[in-house]
Amino acid sequence: MNMVKCLLIICLLGLATAAFVVFSGIVNVAADEPHSDGVYWVLEQTRKNAIAKAAQNIKVPDLSNPELLLSGGIDYEFMCASCHLKPGQNQSDMSLGLYPAPPNLAKLNKSADSLESEAYQKIARENYWVIKHGIKASGMPAWGITHDDQRIWAMVAFIKKLPSLTPEQYQILTAID
Amino acid sequence: MKTLKQLTFTILPVTLLTIMLPITALAHDPALHVKKPEKADCSHMDHSKMDMNDPVQIAMMKKCMKQLKDNKKAMKDMDHSKMDHSKMEHGKVK
Repeated sequence: MNMVKCLLIICLLGLATAAFVVFSGIVNVAADEPHSDGVYWVLEQTRKNAIAKAAQNIKVPDLSNPELLLSGGIDYEFMCASCHLKPGQNQSDMSLGLYPAPPNLAKLNKSADSLESEAYQKIARENYWVIKHGIKASGMPAWGITHDDQRIWAMVAFIKKLPSLTPEQYQILTAID
Repeated sequence: MKTLKQLTFTILPVTLLTIMLPITALAHDPALHVKKPEKADCSHMDHSKMDMNDPVQIAMMKKCMKQLKDNKKAMKDMDHSKMDHSKMEHGKVK
């Protein structure tokens, strides 16, 4: 009986603490105030594992067609570059102001993985899922609501090539006809 | 003495704020948020050095070829007979 009482008290205390945190306004939600290391680790792991699980059964189509770079390049320039940057650019108002900071896609994944490698297939699946569904409370929108799968895969193909592009190549690929 | 203190604590901060505000406004470049559609700058492309096995180079070539075709078509579609040559400065044409 004592054990039950003890558990009940612990549960009530837990609920009271949660209610205090929610209703007191004690949590600082400012984007210019980073999380503590522990909270950041928990959120990062949750995000990574959730994306990996959600994307695990997605089948990656053939992304070698050069036409994909043209379509994906224009969409990247107008939808992604202001946050995820482009060759020759190290920061923008958005990349500095958003928290968590959006990854610099012009510098990431510089490995020479071929399109067929399992490592790249995993990255492609996850990039597709993130572009399509977005990420809650991070500033990353769900582009799948307004863009079809073909356009999203074209962006995935372009992001693969992005770190190897020079600013001049980027300008040509992303320019409007 | 009191007047000097008042002066230091009221006028000085206001003056500093007046100077600082325009500076902070200038630090933010609105051009960063303006996306203007740009034409591909194909002037630096050396077609002889193209690697036709590289998807990036093939895509660039396609883009530039399309632009070239569009420019040629635009030139063809122009009705030169209706141009007002009197306003053209032929002396400046090199």
